[in-house]
Amino acid sequence: MSRSSDAPHHWARIQESGSVAGMRLMVWIRRHLGRLPFQIMLGPVILYYYLGRALPRRASRRYLERIWPLYAGSPPRWKKWLGLKHFMAFGQSLMDKVDAWSGMPLDVRVSQEDRACLDRAIRSGRGGLMLVSHIGNLEICSAMSDNRDDFHVTQLMHTRNSQKFNQLLDRSILRRGPEIIEVTEITPATAMALAERINAGGFVVIAADRVPINEGGRVRHIDFLGASAPFPEGPFWLAALLRCPVYTMSCLREGQTHRIEFQPFDDTTHLRRADREAWRRDAMHRYVDWLTDQCRRYPLQWFNFFPYWQVDDRYDG
Amino acid sequence: MADALELELKHLIIDTLELEDVTPEDIDREEPLFVEGLGLDSIDALELGLALQKTYGIKLEADSEESRRHFANLKSLAALVEERRVD
Repeated sequence: MSRSSDAPHHWARIQESGSVAGMRLMVWIRRHLGRLPFQIMLGPVILYYYLGRALPRRASRRYLERIWPLYAGSPPRWKKWLGLKHFMAFGQSLMDKVDAWSGMPLDVRVSQEDRACLDRAIRSGRGGLMLVSHIGNLEICSAMSDNRDDFHVTQLMHTRNSQKFNQLLDRSILRRGPEIIEVTEITPATAMALAERINAGGFVVIAADRVPINEGGRVRHIDFLGASAPFPEGPFWLAALLRCPVYTMSCLREGQTHRIEFQPFDDTTHLRRADREAWRRDAMHRYVDWLTDQCRRYPLQWFNFFPYWQVDDRYDG
Repeated sequence: MADALELELKHLIIDTLELEDVTPEDIDREEPLFVEGLGLDSIDALELGLALQKTYGIKLEADSEESRRHFANLKSLAALVEERRVD
C-alpha cells in the first residue's frame, strides 16, 4: 500500500463532524436526562459508530492486535466484540468528561506515593511540564485542579483538537476548566507563555503521542508495540528548553473509580545544551516505554482511533 | 543607544545558542537570522525567545506571523526589545 508523504490519514485530517453531532446529543442526554438513559443510549450509539466508521474501526483493530498479546498473553480471539468494547470505553470516557466538567462527584483514587509526588511538585513552587497521552481521561485530572487553589494547569492543545473539544462541550461546561493554549505550531511566543506559567509555579500539560500536522518534520520514529510509529519531538524540545521538572500524568478508569497517576519523569533544570540531543532521544524512548506500560495495563482506554503506525503501513504493505 | 543594544543582543544570541565560531562582527543587522544568514532554526528561535523573556521581560502575542517579523533580523529584534522591555 503506498501513501503520499503527507499522510492523508493523519488524525487531524480525519473528518469527524458527524461524530461531534452525535457526541453532543449524548452530552445533552447525560446532562438533562441522567446517567441511566445515557447508559441505555450509549450501546446503540456506539454500535452505530462502530459499524459505520471503517477507519477508526480498523485503527482500533490494528492497535488491539498489537496490545492484546502484551495484556492477555495471547492474540485477541473475539476481535469484533473486543473492538466494540474499545469503542464503548471511549463512549464511557465521554460521559466521564461531561461529569468532570459538570462538577459531578467522581470517585477519584490516587495512590499514596503519587499523591505525595503531586503534593511535593505543587509545594516546591517550581511548576513543571506534565507529559500526557490520549489514554484514559485527562479531563478528570484537569477538573481536579479546580478543587485546589494551588494547582494551576495550562493545557497546550492543537487547535484542531480544541475546536472539536469546544464544539462538544459548548454550553455544557459549568466550571471554568483549565487554561487552554491553542496552537497550530509552537512559536517563540508559545514557549514564552509557557515559561511564564511554569515560573509562576504552574503546570503545563502536553500530550506527546500525536504528531502535529505542521510540525515541520520534527518527528522521531520509535518502536511502539512492535512497529515503528511517529512521535512528536516538540514536547521534548519544550521540556529541554523550559528547564523545569517533568512529570507523567494519566487518569485511568478502574471499574467505577478513576485512578490518577502522577510520577516524576525527569528534571531539565541543569541539562546542558550539548547534552540535549542525547537527552531528547532517551526521554522519548522512556516516554514510549511509559505509554506502552499504560496501554498494557489498560488496553481498552487508548483513544487514538486513527492509523497510528502510518510509516509501518507505508513500508510494510 | 541602538548600537549598544544591538551589540548586547549579539552577545545574547551568541551566548544563548552557544555559537562558538561566531563573533559579534559576523552578525549583520539586516541579514536574516534564520535559515539563511546566521542559519538558525525554529528551535533556536524558541530558545532565543525564552532568553529575551528572561533578560528583558518582554512578551509576544501568539501570532506566529508577528513572531516571524520580530525575529527576522537583528534590527527588528532590537526594535522589539526597545519597545517592550520592562526592566
